[in-house]
Amino acid sequence: MTDLAIEVKGVGKSYRFFSLDHINLEVPEGEIMGLIGPNGAGKSTTIRILMGLVHQDSGDVRVLGHRMPAAQVAAKWDIGFASEDMRLYDGMTLAWHMAFIQSIYPAWNPAYAQLLLKRFGLRAEQKIKGLSHGQRVKATLLLVLARRPKLVVLDEPTTGLDPVARHEILRELTDVMADEGRTILFSSHNTQDVEQISDRITFIDRGRIIDSMDRETYLDRWRRLRLEVPLGVELPALPGVICVRQEGRLAVATANAFVPGLANAYENSGARVQRIETMTLEEIFVANVEHSREEVRV
Amino acid sequence: MTNSIVRQLILKDWRLNRLQLLLSIGAGMIALGVVLRGGEGPMVAGTVWFFIALIMVGTMLPISGIVNERKKQNLAFLMSLPVSSIQYTTAKIISTVGMFLVPWVTLLIAAVVLIETRGVVPPGAIPIALILAGMPFVGLCLMTGAALVGESEGWGIAANVSCNSSYGLIWYFMGRMPGLMADVKSPVPVWNPTVLKFLGGELGLIVLILGLTFYIQSRKRDFV
Repeated sequence: MTDLAIEVKGVGKSYRFFSLDHINLEVPEGEIMGLIGPNGAGKSTTIRILMGLVHQDSGDVRVLGHRMPAAQVAAKWDIGFASEDMRLYDGMTLAWHMAFIQSIYPAWNPAYAQLLLKRFGLRAEQKIKGLSHGQRVKATLLLVLARRPKLVVLDEPTTGLDPVARHEILRELTDVMADEGRTILFSSHNTQDVEQISDRITFIDRGRIIDSMDRETYLDRWRRLRLEVPLGVELPALPGVICVRQEGRLAVATANAFVPGLANAYENSGARVQRIETMTLEEIFVANVEHSREEVRV
Repeated sequence: MTNSIVRQLILKDWRLNRLQLLLSIGAGMIALGVVLRGGEGPMVAGTVWFFIALIMVGTMLPISGIVNERKKQNLAFLMSLPVSSIQYTTAKIISTVGMFLVPWVTLLIAAVVLIETRGVVPPGAIPIALILAGMPFVGLCLMTGAALVGESEGWGIAANVSCNSSYGLIWYFMGRMPGLMADVKSPVPVWNPTVLKFLGGELGLIVLILGLTFYIQSRKRDFV
């Protein structure tokens, strides 16, 4: 059995206008999990609960075997956490921050820190206030990675970055994973980033986990079927089809559990299958969210 | 390791606020220099500037160290480190009070030495000076507590304004208390019961405010 770096069971947290509803999440050691959700979905709240910064109202959270939030200090020695709303001290240099983090973490690796400085094109003697947004994100990531954490938790790390900076950061995260045993959880509303590096993907919307599986399974199971529906033909409701939109004689069926038999079933009903299309993760995400919201309304 | 992280957070604050401390000591020393010139005008101006230097540093430390740290989103960075909310509170209280004590003790010693050796102000004024100097200390604790517990710039500013506007009022009433002012021109400091009550009250307030801050912080469920 694989050890779990993160184990969340039935976690709930209520605010006045938002609540997390019975969140279950498992991230095995050595995996990269992408947490995708629209703005306000509950990604940051979930991550803050994982870090022990917000106490859940109900449910159990274990991170690297530590019960959260009670054992947050012990857990955080092995967690590298960076969030989009995290800022370094403007008036101080990156070198000052590196020395500060090094004074705390015995596992700080100066050689790796120097390597990251070079790769990210940063200068240690530069003050944070003189850095661009992309450079600040890279500086934060350097401080997280050079301490060699077992678990890296990143909340929207690529938000607001240009494509080159995003690529550099994602490449570095992939490199970190070359060291087996490390785990990464990162949240984003950018599906491209998540698709690029994640082993496993979890969709969250309106405080609920709506789906969680490995990337290949998503891409294998989701299909869009373009259908021609002659007059008088009624499309059957088929298992695995979550949505059918029809305009005149043309219809589009979205399947989240596609099997070739679905196309046959439509053909047998009198419709003609024009095309079966694969879906991008973004399309899967949007369809998933819409389906989940319709289910809630029903 | 737990003590080590608290120590590192304290050292970090000291490094960030060194300049403020030096400037406040410098300002206080200049104020004492003005008192040394003799005469009523310089003595009043110097004394007022001296207390302003203490009030300023007592106001700036909680604002820059706690309110701005939250406002500028440095707090999330700190809380990503292996530290709990109560350790953060401990580090902040020790560093803020500790940093304040540097100019406070330095300037008070300088003032006492000046009073005892130069004869510009009678030594009987030492107890009053200590009571007056204790007020910015109480104010610092109140602002520190409000900044930590209130978690917003608004609470920090409210505490700041309340403290700073009340100093003048308290000075006014103190000036009308015979128990306090009777021995102010005495050739030796007189520690009468009223003086001791004031000093004890200030100390009690400091302990109460800091204790309440710890208590409230320890009961918080959401920190960032």
